[in-house]
Amino acid sequence: MSSLMKFIGVDKIQKAIQIFQENGGLKASLIKMLRNDELKSGTLVGVDKYGNRYYENNAYFVGRNRWIEYADHYWLDYNASQIPAEWYGWMHYKTDLIPTKDPNRPHHRWMLDHTENMTGTSGQYTPYSTNRPKIEAWIPPKK
Amino acid sequence: MLRNILKGTPALQQNVNSLLRLSTVETGIQEKKNYATESEAAIQTTKSGLPDKREQRPYSPFQTPMNKVDYALARVDDVLNWGRKNSMWPLTFGLACCAVEMMHIAAPRYDMDRYGVVFRASPRQADVIIVAGTLTNKMAPALRLVYDQMPEPRWVISMGSCANGGGYYHYSYSVVRGCDRIVPVDIYVPGCPPTAEALMYGILQLQKKVKRMNVAQMWYRK
Repeated sequence: MSSLMKFIGVDKIQKAIQIFQENGGLKASLIKMLRNDELKSGTLVGVDKYGNRYYENNAYFVGRNRWIEYADHYWLDYNASQIPAEWYGWMHYKTDLIPTKDPNRPHHRWMLDHTENMTGTSGQYTPYSTNRPKIEAWIPPKK
Repeated sequence: MLRNILKGTPALQQNVNSLLRLSTVETGIQEKKNYATESEAAIQTTKSGLPDKREQRPYSPFQTPMNKVDYALARVDDVLNWGRKNSMWPLTFGLACCAVEMMHIAAPRYDMDRYGVVFRASPRQADVIIVAGTLTNKMAPALRLVYDQMPEPRWVISMGSCANGGGYYHYSYSVVRGCDRIVPVDIYVPGCPPTAEALMYGILQLQKKVKRMNVAQMWYRK
C-alpha cells in the first residue's frame, strides 16, 4: 500500500500536511514561512536564555540539518549575532554537544552576558581618540 | 580546566557544581559526555524557565511620527526601502583574493540570489559596489570612475583588510590606504579575506541600513 502511495506521489502530500501540523497549524506555519522563508520539521534540541529555539533534523543534508528559530520578539529583526557563544559551536558544527550536555564548557561568574551586534542603534560602539592629532586636516578655502 | 583539577576533592566539587548551577539557566549539566539529543523532559524544563515576555520589535524603524503627513511619508519610506533592500544589485569590483570569496556568495552554498542580490557587470545597473581586494594607486582613478557612473542611490561595501585600511600593504608605496579615501564607504567587512559568510552578513547589515533611509520624510521636513 505504501509503495503504491509512493508511486502515485501521495506521500509527498502527506509529508507536507505533516510538516504543517508539526509547525502548529496553517496560521502558525504561514507566520513561520514569512519569518524564516522556509518551513521545516525537526526536533527541538534546545532553547537558550534569550528564547531562541534550536532545531535539528538529520534527514536534511549537512549545512541545513541544524537551524535556529529566533525568539518571537525579534520578529523580522533577527540576525546571526543574536546566537550566543554557547550555541555558536553547535550551529557551526564545531561540536555535536549542545551546551547543556557538554561538561567541558567554562562557566565563570565574570563571564559577560551575550550582546547582539549593536551597529546602527543607539548602543553602538563609537571609538574616540584621546591623543593629540598627529596631522593637520586640510580646511578647504571658502568661496 | 580548573574544574577538572578540583574534581578530586568532593567538597570543592560540590562548591563548583553549585557555582555552575548559579551561572547557567539550564541546570542539566551532566558529568558524563552524552551524544544523544536532549530528552523531552529536559526541553520542557528549559522552556518553562524562559523569561521571554519582551515586546516585539516593529518592522519599521520610524516609530515616532511628528504629525499625520509625517506618518504617511514614513510608510512611503517603508515601501521604498523594502523595495530597495530586497533587490540590491552589486557591481563586482574584484581586485584580489577577496574576489574569490565574493564569488562564493554567488555560489549555491551561500546563494546571495535568495536575498535578491544579483551581480551586474555594468555600473549603470548596479546599486552597490563591493570593493574586494587591494586598491592600488593605479586602480584608484578607475574605481572612482566606476563609482561615479553608478546611479543614485548607491552604496559601497569595502571588503577585506586591504580595502578597509590598506591591510597588509598599508606601508606599500603603491597602495591606497583604504578605499574610503576614494569613495564613501557604507559597510566595512573585516577579514583577510573575509569568509563568504562574513560578506553575506555585511550585505544583510547594508540591508538594515537601507531600511533606515528616510528620503521622503526628509523631503517633507525640508
